Amino acid sequence: MTAMTTTTATADTGGAAFLRLLIAATAILVGLALLPAVVDPYQTVLLTYGLVMAIAALGFNLLLGYTGLLSFGHSAYFGTGAYTVAFIVRDLGAHSMELCILGGLAGTVLVSALFGFVCVRHTRIFFGILTLALSQVLWSLAFKFFWVTGGTDGIRVAYAKLTLLGGLVDFAGPGSFQRFVFAYYYYVLALFTLATVVMWVIVHSPFGKALQAIRDNETRASFVGISVRRHRWIAFVISGAFTGLAGILWVPLNGLTTPDVLYWPFSGEIVFMSVLGGFRTFAGPIVGAVTFNYLKTAAVASTEYWQLLLGVVLVTLVLLLPSGIVGTAMRLVSRWTR
Amino acid sequence: MTVQLDRRSFLNTLGVTMGAAAAATAVPPIVPAAAQTSPPPKGSIPSTPLKFGHMTFLTGPGAVLGEPSLKGHLLAAEEINARGGILGKRKIETITADENAGTDANVKELRRMKLSEKIDMFTGVISSGNTPALGPVAEELSVLTIFVDGCTDFLWDKAVPNPKYTFRITNIQSADGVTCAVAAAQTWPTAKKIAHIHPDYSYGRNAFDHFMIAYKKMVPGAEVVSEGWPKLGTTDFTAHITKTISSNPDLIVSSVWGGDYVALYKQALRFGMFNNAKFASTIAFGVAPHAIGKDHPEGVIAGVHSNYYFTFPPGNRWPANKIFVEKYFKRWNEYPNFQSDGAYHTLHMYKTAVEKANRLVGGWPDEEAVISQLEGMYFETAAGYLYIRPDNHQGYKDAVTGFSKNVAEYQFQTLDPARMITIPIRNITAPPHWPKPGNGHNDPTATYNWIKETWPQVAA
Repeated sequence: MTAMTTTTATADTGGAAFLRLLIAATAILVGLALLPAVVDPYQTVLLTYGLVMAIAALGFNLLLGYTGLLSFGHSAYFGTGAYTVAFIVRDLGAHSMELCILGGLAGTVLVSALFGFVCVRHTRIFFGILTLALSQVLWSLAFKFFWVTGGTDGIRVAYAKLTLLGGLVDFAGPGSFQRFVFAYYYYVLALFTLATVVMWVIVHSPFGKALQAIRDNETRASFVGISVRRHRWIAFVISGAFTGLAGILWVPLNGLTTPDVLYWPFSGEIVFMSVLGGFRTFAGPIVGAVTFNYLKTAAVASTEYWQLLLGVVLVTLVLLLPSGIVGTAMRLVSRWTR
Repeated sequence: MTVQLDRRSFLNTLGVTMGAAAAATAVPPIVPAAAQTSPPPKGSIPSTPLKFGHMTFLTGPGAVLGEPSLKGHLLAAEEINARGGILGKRKIETITADENAGTDANVKELRRMKLSEKIDMFTGVISSGNTPALGPVAEELSVLTIFVDGCTDFLWDKAVPNPKYTFRITNIQSADGVTCAVAAAQTWPTAKKIAHIHPDYSYGRNAFDHFMIAYKKMVPGAEVVSEGWPKLGTTDFTAHITKTISSNPDLIVSSVWGGDYVALYKQALRFGMFNNAKFASTIAFGVAPHAIGKDHPEGVIAGVHSNYYFTFPPGNRWPANKIFVEKYFKRWNEYPNFQSDGAYHTLHMYKTAVEKANRLVGGWPDEEAVISQLEGMYFETAAGYLYIRPDNHQGYKDAVTGFSKNVAEYQFQTLDPARMITIPIRNITAPPHWPKPGNGHNDPTATYNWIKETWPQVAA
């Protein structure tokens, strides 16, 4: 991942650098594609979780890293995606994952457009509190309306009921779990790649540059003629849609959706992933999400004091690596190559 | 076709019995099932250890109820290993997981245990929010599972309607609310205004539903005057307590459990909640016994999840209990709760099933053979006879509850052994093949529908 990180939000995209980035990205992609052949199925499952969360963090970071807005309510979009899929499968009896993705994205875009419309009227702490409050409205709906949402039991979405690629891949019959693990990994990997490319294009587009201009100096940006509020709103919706896509992909993997993914600590986890990886870099949230996923799983598996362990590790990382894993790695690389 | 009858004769038909203290007698040399030595196994048995995954609350407010599960499990594993392991050859190794990590993390953890750690069997689990999530995963992974608790009816009614690999050893949840209702109706039959405080998740709603449907059959005119739904894991109950008191109830019913309950009763004492109303809980004394202080109100119905309390049956009336409690105390220097009983006998029941299967097929029996022995098994436990129903893999035993009392013998408050209430389980839970929700009715559970349809209404 280190080579990929040489392209920061502000780096040039000219010839040689772009070629290097392309080679590095391809190498990483090939590595990820070959991985399930060498590691045990559980590691594949874990990496799928990591990639899903990476999409969420990538979306989140469009707001934090590129627009300068700290959202503390991204659980709302993740959860909206997840619950929409659950409703589609349970109430409409749909089996196609593609249909779930379309429906889920429509649901998330709707919710994030609505929430975003309210939230982008403010910045800094006010923005953060608003996003948090709105996400908790959704949480309490999912929690309290148990006859619709199953309450804390959540809604089960069995992978065996779903098909991929318009029905080409199904998981009927016994022993299908292994097949699902592999097929779904590649499915998620493909969408992760797509999401990463799309996000990369967005942040390097004139629109992305405008967001960075707003982040760096709001007043100056509006004097240049950038409609600050509208740009923030669009960024908010895109960010929500990415996180929603992660929620959609997470459901079949997890097998059920519960109000936990709408609760505020989950928003906190998304924030932490981005900070851990380094929110000033493009690849930071990706690295942070995958790392955090491993870290939490390893901590829970190894000790009953997992919360303490996790806390200590995270505090240490933040103190020692304030620019995140990727930011620090980049600094080391640039010092070494100089 | 509602049959009208009076409460006393109705309770008589339920077979509700009140226990009386037993005289202390010398213990005749009786060996319970869990302690019997087994005949030598047939065929060659591999000596590779058996890997068990045990999940329970090791942290958080749930731990005071859940941690005894691990202690019961470890005690049984140590006993079995001391005799060479299962079939004399295969020792038990246990890896643990903290259920407090949350449902989603628990699903991940079960997958890790099976796919990465290659466990042979999965046991434990306390919360009813977790078994409906983990049951389908265990079936997907084809991992033999005996849940110790997480006893929601929903698991077999909906989540895993045709279990193959999953079993559960503690009483089904609907029995809990019904047991509490029977005990309350028998003790305070004039209580009509009922206030509820339940944790806001499936267990709380299950307790509420089944208490009310059963109680209204026995106490005509009973009504709900207040409902409080604190979130599971809450330690501040002030708002719920004041709301309950202001509704001026005759009887307060609660299914708050674990560390949550300890916090609830201590706060309720300060508000005098127990002074003006009767109190009945489904699970107050389900925690590790020493977690309940002597300051707990006496004479309230302090349920034990309708499963087990370590002082009952007292003396030597049920040696399997006396011996279990002695062993447990010797190992852990504390007394067991119903989770300890469940986890301990899970392992011994599994051991017995493997031995039976071995006598039939020889060698190490495959899972199918073990499952066929577990289905329909009748087993002697500290809590009495346990029956594993073949159709839904659910354990059934006669339900118990009791009244809180301070006795000099213990540093904590206990259930009064002279006032235990025992109810035959088949009188308070739906029989095999009773229609499940979604099949001809939309009631919360099969048992709820069964009570509604078949219990007579006591005359006013």
